[in-house]
Amino acid sequence: MTHPTGARINADLLRPLLLTSWRFYFLVAFFGFFVVAGLVAWVSQMYFGFGISGIRWPVYWGFYVTNFVFWIGISHAGTLISAILRLVNAGWRRPVTRCAEVITTFALLIGAMFPIIHLGRPWLAFWLFPYPSERLIWPNFRSPLVWDFFAINTYLTGSMLFLIMPMLPDFAVVRDKSVGLRRKIYTALALGWRGTPKQWHRLETAMQIMAIAIIPVAVSVHTIVSFDFSMAPVPMWNTTIFGPYFVAGAIFSGIAGLIIAMAVLRKFLHLEDYLHPVHFENLGKLMLVMGLLWGYFVFNERLVTYYGNGPAEMTVFRRTQSGSFAPLYWTMVICNFVMPLVLMGIRRFRTITGCVIASIGVVIGMWLERFLIIVPALGAKYLPYSFGVYRPQPVEIIILIATFAAMSLLYVLFAKVVPIISIWELKAGEHPAPSLIPPATEEHRLGDLKL
Amino acid sequence: MPQWGMAADLDRCTGCGGCVVACHAENNISTVGPDQAAIGRAKHWLRVERYWEGDFPDVRLKFRPVMCQHCDNAPCEPVCPTYASHHTEDGLNAQVYNRCIGTRYCANACPYNVRFFDFFNPSWDKPLQLQLNPDVSLREVGVMEKCTFCVQRIKGAQIQAKAEGRAVRDGEIQPACAQACGARALVFGDVEDPNSEVSRLSRSPRGSLLLEDLGTQPGVVYLSRQTQV
Amino acid sequence: MDRRSFIKLTAITGTSATLASCGNPENQLIRFVPDEDIIPGVAVWKPSVCPLCQAGCGLTVRVMDADADVVRNGQAGLVRIAAAKKLEGAPDHPVNRGGLCARGQAAIQITYHPDRITQPLKRTGDRGQGQYEAISWENALAEIVSHLDMLEGAGNQRALACVSRGGRGHRAAVLRQFLARFDASAPITFDLFGDDVLRRANALSFGREQLPTFDLANSRFVLSFGADFLGTWNSPVAQNVGYGIMRQGRAGIRGAFAQVESRMSQTGACADEWLPAKPGTEGVLALGIAKAIVDGQLRPAASAGRAGAQVDGWTTGLASYAGADVERSTGVPASRIERLARQFADTRPSVAIVGGPALAHSNSLFTALAVNALNALVGAVDQPGGVSFTPQLDVAAAAKIAGAQATMATPLAQFAADTVSGKSVPQVLLVDGANPVFTTPRAWRVAEALGKVPYIVSFSSFLDETTALADLILPDHSFLESWTEAVPESGSTTAVVSVAPPTMRPLHQTRATPDVLLEIGRTLRRPLDLPWQTFDEMLGASVAALPAASADVDTWTDAQAKGRWEGTLPGALAGSASAPAPSAAAAFAEPQFDGDAGQYPFHFLPYPSNQFLDGSLAHLPWLQEMPDPLTSGMWSSWVEINPATAEKLGIAQGDIVEITSGHGKVQAGAVISPGIAPDIVAMPAGQGHRTYTRFASGRGVNPIELLAPVTEAATGALAWAATRVQIARVGPPDGRLILFAGGMREHFESEVR
Repeated sequence: MTHPTGARINADLLRPLLLTSWRFYFLVAFFGFFVVAGLVAWVSQMYFGFGISGIRWPVYWGFYVTNFVFWIGISHAGTLISAILRLVNAGWRRPVTRCAEVITTFALLIGAMFPIIHLGRPWLAFWLFPYPSERLIWPNFRSPLVWDFFAINTYLTGSMLFLIMPMLPDFAVVRDKSVGLRRKIYTALALGWRGTPKQWHRLETAMQIMAIAIIPVAVSVHTIVSFDFSMAPVPMWNTTIFGPYFVAGAIFSGIAGLIIAMAVLRKFLHLEDYLHPVHFENLGKLMLVMGLLWGYFVFNERLVTYYGNGPAEMTVFRRTQSGSFAPLYWTMVICNFVMPLVLMGIRRFRTITGCVIASIGVVIGMWLERFLIIVPALGAKYLPYSFGVYRPQPVEIIILIATFAAMSLLYVLFAKVVPIISIWELKAGEHPAPSLIPPATEEHRLGDLKL
Repeated sequence: MPQWGMAADLDRCTGCGGCVVACHAENNISTVGPDQAAIGRAKHWLRVERYWEGDFPDVRLKFRPVMCQHCDNAPCEPVCPTYASHHTEDGLNAQVYNRCIGTRYCANACPYNVRFFDFFNPSWDKPLQLQLNPDVSLREVGVMEKCTFCVQRIKGAQIQAKAEGRAVRDGEIQPACAQACGARALVFGDVEDPNSEVSRLSRSPRGSLLLEDLGTQPGVVYLSRQTQV
Repeated sequence: MDRRSFIKLTAITGTSATLASCGNPENQLIRFVPDEDIIPGVAVWKPSVCPLCQAGCGLTVRVMDADADVVRNGQAGLVRIAAAKKLEGAPDHPVNRGGLCARGQAAIQITYHPDRITQPLKRTGDRGQGQYEAISWENALAEIVSHLDMLEGAGNQRALACVSRGGRGHRAAVLRQFLARFDASAPITFDLFGDDVLRRANALSFGREQLPTFDLANSRFVLSFGADFLGTWNSPVAQNVGYGIMRQGRAGIRGAFAQVESRMSQTGACADEWLPAKPGTEGVLALGIAKAIVDGQLRPAASAGRAGAQVDGWTTGLASYAGADVERSTGVPASRIERLARQFADTRPSVAIVGGPALAHSNSLFTALAVNALNALVGAVDQPGGVSFTPQLDVAAAAKIAGAQATMATPLAQFAADTVSGKSVPQVLLVDGANPVFTTPRAWRVAEALGKVPYIVSFSSFLDETTALADLILPDHSFLESWTEAVPESGSTTAVVSVAPPTMRPLHQTRATPDVLLEIGRTLRRPLDLPWQTFDEMLGASVAALPAASADVDTWTDAQAKGRWEGTLPGALAGSASAPAPSAAAAFAEPQFDGDAGQYPFHFLPYPSNQFLDGSLAHLPWLQEMPDPLTSGMWSSWVEINPATAEKLGIAQGDIVEITSGHGKVQAGAVISPGIAPDIVAMPAGQGHRTYTRFASGRGVNPIELLAPVTEAATGALAWAATRVQIARVGPPDGRLILFAGGMREHFESEVR
């Protein structure tokens, strides 16, 4: 494989910004349609009443909270790739970081919509914000939902910084390569980046700090999201395993989301020279590790519950494993454990296609996992007379589809405006600046990657 | 400061359901209709649970009225982000309708499943609205509601007693459910007062708490049904 | 700002505000001057009487201000009225002692029902199409008067008939008087789940043709044969009050309770011991117990006295009722009979109750007599903890009017048959408080009979199946807007006459039916010479005849304030014991069941539902939404099936099944119930109205339609538990069965919905 030259890199990675085909408009229209449908559904819910959803006594959380946890989970892709891989100096991360950080930011934005969508009176959501009100009443800081508010906002802020800062040099590249209105826009976006050593130093330092800081934030965010469940005395919710379980699951689903996004980009933006099978293989191996970890947590949770034999817990246990939720449960196990184990564990299957199939499975499986944590337990809490069955309604399904469409739409729009692979990081991997950037070793070069 | 509590004698309760309808009448609970009831939206703040035991012909059926237990360690209170669910000084779990933004976390946290959500704005075909109790707020869409131990009656009695310059007498405050019950299965009063009937009943050896091992410290004592051969 | 600017600003804002509020007239509702004095926010409590069942519980009604929508002179607006807000049991009422059942609580929705008939209606379309036009009271009364004058003119007064609810109170007396003075036949009364058989048995056993009163509060052992006395039977609230005391109201004493029935009722769920017996054999069981008591030397047979003599074989040792024979007949093991007998005789005071399905067979008179004898045997009659009869005011004597009709009332079945055959067709039919088109079996052809009557007048407030056939509707007030009264037949040990003034003014252009009848009587060409001008005058006359509690108390004033008179009736005003014609002692006869056992293998049990009784309360939304105590069903009909039977037939919870008798078929969702015998299926009565307001019309199915016209021979009462049926699964659940509950059992099992 030839090493693309700097000029070639610029040309390839700037092409999506500079050239727009009919495919772009089609995709925007297609995804946009579903996004608009989702917005219409949400507005209908506010207009006609929350009752058009499938929520009922006693299953008061359903698709919306599932989506919330799912999308916050997907957002952990960026943290892992950008921050962790950066800190351990894994050079193969370079073409992948921005894809990952974009997923993080957009998944967070989508996920953060759901605490508002699922409210009975969303127009009062601002009461979660701690401001000195005339009623002299603040949010209840003992509530995990208020912790969610702070955690997600912190993570979102951090992730956006982590995303936007390294975009500055690339904006500068686009600025330098464009004319007219585009040049004006990118001049503004580049915030006066000139590529001086001092600026590079500042950027690198900032990235290092962010990389270190964002990891505990990411861990705490999903732990706090898990507290939404573990802090309630619901059978099979009140368990200490939820914190690490959710974080592991988040990273797991994040990697899967990233693999899918990368594969799509590679195909449609012709980035075959930049996103090599080895990238997918490495991510696939990471996904396998996370899959095994996920399996470990699930096994742990289930075995302990089984031995504990608490009547209420076993009711929920049976409901998921052998009762009405069994088909979904075992689908989840296959998607999250069996498929990744087979496809990622056997070298022959660890191709790009194999990775994508496994990842799609994981995305489905992880969504099911959130659903299966929430709904079976809420429908079977302690007093059997009050058990109930949840049936999702069209508004919830439309909004679910709309989130995937929104993610895709945001991605398409982003890729049109910002180079989806970080140009400078790629080049830095090839030609490290003398004293400011840790030298790329031979193995980190593009091309003959051996890991 | 009184601490309100209730005793429910399951040996007296006959499962007639008078308490259920009385609660609807007193507290302006809107009827949701058959389509909504079919998907689990009926709001029976007080329900009479029934459980079968055994098989024909050695079969038994037990009734148990379940309402908000006004737990001293209520799991619904710490999880409400806006303090809509909070504990009052006199032992009630209060639900402040106009502070509720409808996250429904409190309902998930409640192990007794006694919290209900308003899925739509309530409506009454005219002139049914003339029956509405002016002492109880109407709840709009998106808020949680539940048994309040008829707090309007508690406050009403306290105001009346204060106006007359005396203390509230035991038995003077009767929530709608307790008042309707012919068998006198539900008794309400001040558990801090050792001479009140509810205190006396709470001390009964037949007394137990529902889901006691969850640590919620409920304010309703259930006196078990006895058997006799 | 300076003063000049301030004044300018105020003037401008003030003017604009005023102008703004003078805007759209449609947005402003006029508030009319109230017709009555009521302090906003302050409640007053007024007495009333619950009319929903024969118990006659006393009420106290919370009345507060409310804003009602009215139209005056074509202008819509609001007016403050004094409105009833909440019904509670009257605290010291001898019958209900402050308690009130679910139905009583919901009764307030009658007054405010959106589909109430608000003014007189005259039929315009074809009969049964439900097309009516509003007419004034003047025209409506003129019309009915002209019809009645026509009858009188043709000398055909016997062609006036009336179907009513019956009862022993003042309203029924007014109706009877009206018909008697008109020379028409006595009102036909029909109560599907009524207890005519029990009344007849009590007349034979104890000389009282009356429902019994039970002193449960002092009882130590209650043995009930089929009676749902804590749910729907006789005087449920009074019985609940007594039951509560019986269980836990006496220090150190807890009364025991056994229930005999083949389908667990709400009452049966409260029993310490529950015994299923084969349908129609409850009397055999009672006598088996009696024989064991006598044979065990626990009580001499002679103590049963007259009641014992009514039972064939009593005086000769009840030879046919030995343990083994009774076990074979009833299915109850002999050892259990022995034990029950011992318990019933030794645990004193004890009392036996009989009602419900046990008295709904062709042989039910025997059953009732057997239980009466059992009571007499253990000395339960007119003793504390036992059974007694409420001293009842003789309304005719008190109101100084003619007593019972010269002619006995025709049974409804015979009336329908005579009308259909053309043998005796009334020309004018009055319908008051009854819906016989709904509450009778199709086999009786009541709808067809009514179709033959040229002119039907209904006093109903709602367009139910029978009223939908009326030509003229003269809607009554709701009870809260009326003078209410009751003379309870049971539920109290002392005599009670409940009476109360209206708690609120009429909401609509309705009129009190007794007053309407009195006015019609005055307006006839040959006026009826009725003793009073208005109903409250009658009530006043009747109550004033009663002895006062103390010298300075005026009975009538006191009664209106309290909502009742209670005390000891002077002999002249007490209903006298009847001396029925001597009859032969009753012997057990096998109960007759309609339908061949091979083709129709199951016994069918339609039972009065806790919510709707016989269907008369299906129009109240609170009751529709109230979960059934046993199944948690709401807004639905259902069929209760034994689990083993269901499994054999491949029926799962919620599946749609079809129940077929020799006289009809219905479909409903199945509820698997462990509390019903394998060869019985049960359905609640009350749903299945073709028309009965928006809340009940077209909802569910009516099991009464399936019933066979089997009757009890002596009284002609419908034997509603005597129909056999077939069951077949039709399909999977389709959403029509609505249950509130999730699981059926407390200790977690696989999910059953």
